[in-house]
Amino acid sequence: MGLNRSASGERWRVRPDGPAKVTGALAYLTDMKASGMLHGRVLRSPHPFARIIDIDTTKAAALPGVHAVLTYKDVPGLNAYGIAVQDQPVLCEDYVRYVGDAVATVAADTPELAERALSLIEVEYEVLPIVDDPETALEEGAPQLHPHGNVLHRAGYKAGEADSAFATCAHIIEETYTTPRQMHTYMETEGGLFVPEKDGRLTVYAPTQHGLMDRLQLSRILAKPQQEIRVVSSPIGGSFGGKDELNIQPYGALLALYTKRPVRIHNSRWESVRAGLKRHPMRIAMKTGVSEEGRLLAHQVRIVADTGPYATLGAEVLNFAVEHVIGPYRYANLDVDSVSVHTNNGMSGEFRGFGGNQAIFALEGQMDRLAERLGMDPWQFRRLNMRQQHDPGPFGHPIAQTNGAEQVWAALEESSLCAERDTSGDTATTPPWIKTGTGAAFVMHGAGLGFGIPDPAGGRLQLAADGKIEVLFGYEEFGQGLIATLELMMIEEFGLSADDFRIMIGDTDIVPDSGSSTASRATSMMWKSLQRMRDPFRQHILATAAKRLECEAKQLIMGSGGIRSKQQPDKLLLSYLELAAFSDEPVVVETNFIFPAPDTKRVGAHLLYTYAAVAVQVEVNTLTGRVRVIDQFHAVAAGPVMNPQGYLGQIEGGSSMALGYTLTEKAVMEQGQYMTKNLDTYLIPTIAESTGRFEVVPIEDLPEGDEHGPRGVGEIGSVGLAPAIAEAVYQAVGKRITKLPIDPKELQEIPSFMGKAVRNG
Amino acid sequence: MSERTPAEGIRAVGLSCTVNGVPAELDVAPNKRLLHILRDDLDLTGTKRSCEIGRCGACMVLVDGKPVNSCLTMAYQCDGRSVTTIEGIADADRLDPIQQAFLEEGGYQCGYCTPGMVISVKGLLSVTLDPTDEEIEEALSGNLCRCTGYGGILRSVKNVIAKYKEGY
Repeated sequence: MGLNRSASGERWRVRPDGPAKVTGALAYLTDMKASGMLHGRVLRSPHPFARIIDIDTTKAAALPGVHAVLTYKDVPGLNAYGIAVQDQPVLCEDYVRYVGDAVATVAADTPELAERALSLIEVEYEVLPIVDDPETALEEGAPQLHPHGNVLHRAGYKAGEADSAFATCAHIIEETYTTPRQMHTYMETEGGLFVPEKDGRLTVYAPTQHGLMDRLQLSRILAKPQQEIRVVSSPIGGSFGGKDELNIQPYGALLALYTKRPVRIHNSRWESVRAGLKRHPMRIAMKTGVSEEGRLLAHQVRIVADTGPYATLGAEVLNFAVEHVIGPYRYANLDVDSVSVHTNNGMSGEFRGFGGNQAIFALEGQMDRLAERLGMDPWQFRRLNMRQQHDPGPFGHPIAQTNGAEQVWAALEESSLCAERDTSGDTATTPPWIKTGTGAAFVMHGAGLGFGIPDPAGGRLQLAADGKIEVLFGYEEFGQGLIATLELMMIEEFGLSADDFRIMIGDTDIVPDSGSSTASRATSMMWKSLQRMRDPFRQHILATAAKRLECEAKQLIMGSGGIRSKQQPDKLLLSYLELAAFSDEPVVVETNFIFPAPDTKRVGAHLLYTYAAVAVQVEVNTLTGRVRVIDQFHAVAAGPVMNPQGYLGQIEGGSSMALGYTLTEKAVMEQGQYMTKNLDTYLIPTIAESTGRFEVVPIEDLPEGDEHGPRGVGEIGSVGLAPAIAEAVYQAVGKRITKLPIDPKELQEIPSFMGKAVRNG
Repeated sequence: MSERTPAEGIRAVGLSCTVNGVPAELDVAPNKRLLHILRDDLDLTGTKRSCEIGRCGACMVLVDGKPVNSCLTMAYQCDGRSVTTIEGIADADRLDPIQQAFLEEGGYQCGYCTPGMVISVKGLLSVTLDPTDEEIEEALSGNLCRCTGYGGILRSVKNVIAKYKEGY
C-alpha cells in the first residue's frame, strides 16, 4: 500500500524542527553573528594547474580594516585535510591543482573590505599544462598532479573467466555509459561562525555531516588538542554528502585564532560551485553476455572516474561503484576493473548514492539491452537472473539476508504502471509528437561504510536534573528528518510523550561518538542504539523509582510524564522531575558499537542492503526532445518504516535529485574551468517538472530473527530513476541513452510535415 | 557579488519603508540589496541567501504584497513601500494557514527554501484562493527546493487551498 499521510495515522507527525522552519525563526549556522565579528574570505586559484612562485600579501595586509591575511606559512599544524587521506592543502604552498584551491585567507571588518583585500594579494604563478580528462591523464607523458602520479585508486573484482566465457555466449551487449558531474546544490551554501573563547578554546559553528570528524581534522590543522575545539554542526540547510568533508572550516578557524575575534564566512554560490565537491563523472564500459535461455554468463566492466585533484573519498566511491556494477544479479563469470584518476577538474567526492548512481545506470542499461536482444520482457529477464535469498553479496561475501530483491520485483509486477505498460498512453488528444513509454530499474544499495573502514555507532540516554530524559547522538540534522525520526522512536520504544525528553545532537562537547550521518546509516544506528539501551536504561530508571516509591521495580513502568503503575497505567506515581530530584547518582546508559560489516576481507563490502524497484512513465516531445516524467512507482524494501513522513520525503527528494541527474544537471567544465557558475545555467528540477503521479510502496517485513531492523533509505531514492527513465525513453522513441543528462537533441525528430516542406521547396 | 559601500562613491540616503508593518528608517546606499538590508541591518535572517541572482527564490519577500527576490531588489526600490518577510506572515498567536499546511503535510525538509516558498504561496493566494494547477506551478517555479522533490510542497498548497474552501 502506498505511503502517505492518511495511511500513516498518528505516526505522521509535525516535525519538532518544523515550526521554526516555517516561520523563518530557525537560526542556521550561516545566520549567526557575534559582536565584534570579522568577515572571512578565501583567495582561490584562477588556474586549474600552476606552480606558485610567490605570494605577496603586503598590500592586502596594509589595507585599513584588514585584520589578517594568512597563507600556508600561518598554518600551525598539518597543512592538509581529507576524511580518508589528508592530501588537500588547507592553503597551497607550491602548486594549485584546481580552480577551487585556496591560496590565502583574509579577515576584515566588512565583506567589502575582505573582497578588496583578496584583490590586493599578489600571487605569481607559473601556469602549467593541465589534464582535464581522466583517460588522457592515464596516458604516458601526461602532466602529473602528484608525486605518486595521477592514479588515486584502482579496484577490481574477478570471479571465473569472463574473457573465455564470452565465446560461449549467445548474445553480447557492449556499451559505454557516461555520467555527469552533478552538483549537490544544497540551498544553504557553506559557511559559519568561528568564535575564539576566553578560555582559549575555539567554537566552530559550521555545518558538517560528522562533527567529531571535523573536530579531529581541525585539531590536526590547528595543532590544537581536540578537547579545545567545539564543533556545533546542526541545523544544516541541506548537504547530500557535500558538506561531509571540510570546506570553509579551516579558514574560519585559522582566522579566528589569529585575530582573536569571531569570524564569519558564508560562501557565495559561485564560490560554493568552484570549491565544492561534485558527483564523480564516470565512464563505464560494459560487455555482458547471456546464454540462449537468457542466463548471464559473463559480465565485464571497466570504470574510469574523474576524481579531481585530491583524494577526499574518491577511493571509497570507486569501491562502492565496483560493488554496485555487479548488483543484485547472478553471473557465471565476472571481471570488473576500475580506476579513479586525478585531473585538474573540480573536486569529486561524496554524494548521495556514492557511486551507485553511475554504476546502476550502466548496469540496468545492460539488462534492458540484453532483454531486447533476447526478445524477452526486460522485467522477466531481470527476474530470471536476479539474486535469490541466501545468495552471497556482490563480492561473493556473506550478507544479512532479506528477500528484498524478490519482494520489490513482485511489488513492481502488481503496480498499475506494470499493468498498463504495454498499452500506449497515447490518446486521441495526444499530439503526434508526444510519445510515451514505460521503463523500470532495480537497485540493491549498500549501507554503512563497509568492511575495513572505521564505522562507529552509538548513543546515550540520561536523566537530566530538570527531569528531561536526554537523548544524545552524534548525528546531524540536514533536513532528512533525523530528529523527527528519533522523537518517534523514543515515543514508541519507551511510551513517552514528546515533552518527556530532549534530543541533543550536533555539538561535539556533549554528544557521544555515533559515527557519521552518511551512507544511509543514521536511522539504522539510532534504532540499534535504542534497542541496546532500552532495557538497561529502563531498568536503571525503574530501579531508582522503586527505591523512591519503596516498591518493587517490576510493579512499575515508564510512561508519559513519569513512572506509572504496571497494574494501573493511568496512574502516574512519580514524575521524571521527582525521580531526577531523588536520584543521587546519574542515570545514564551509553552504548558504543560498530556498524555491522560482513565477514570478509574485501574493503568496503557491505552487510546491509536496501532494495528498490522503480518504474516510470515518460512523455517524450519529439519536437523539443524534452522528456517529462508523468508517473513514478517506487517499491522499497528497507525493513520497518521508522518515520513515514521522513521515508516518503527521502524517496521523493532522492528521486527529484535523480530526475535532475537524468535530464538537466551537469556542472560543465572546459579546460578546468566551471562554465556553470550558478543556478541560471546549472538547472535543478523545479516544481513544474515535479507534478507527475508518485507512489512509494514500502516493504517492511524482514526475515524472522533479523537483528538489524530498519535499513537506510537516505540514498536509494536517488539511484534507480535514471536507468528507468532511459528505458522509458527507449520504449517511447526507440533511442538508446548512453549519456546523462539526456541531450534533447538526440531525441528531436524532424516532423513529417517539415520534411514535406523541404521536398516541395 | 559585492556591494559598494558609501565610501566608494555612492551616497547613503535615507530609506523609508515599512517592514512587517513597522516603519523603518535606514541609512543605506540606494543600491544596497534588500536581502542584505534585511539580514544584516535588521537581523531578519528568515530571508535566506542562496543564489543571489534571482533564480532560487530563497530570499523571496513581499513588496506591497507582491513576491520579489530580495537579492535583486535595491534599497531605493523599496522607498515608501511595504515589505513583508517570513517573520511578518504569522499573527502573534497563530501561524498563517499556509505555514500550518506546510507543517501538517511535511512540505519542507532542511527548511532553507521554506520561507521563500511560503512567501510565494502567500503571494499566489492573495491573488486567488482557488488557483489552478498551472497557476500553482507558475507561482512556485521560481522557488527551488533541493530536498523534498516538491511533493510535500504541492500537498501543502493543496491542503491550504482546501482549507480556504472550507472557510478556514
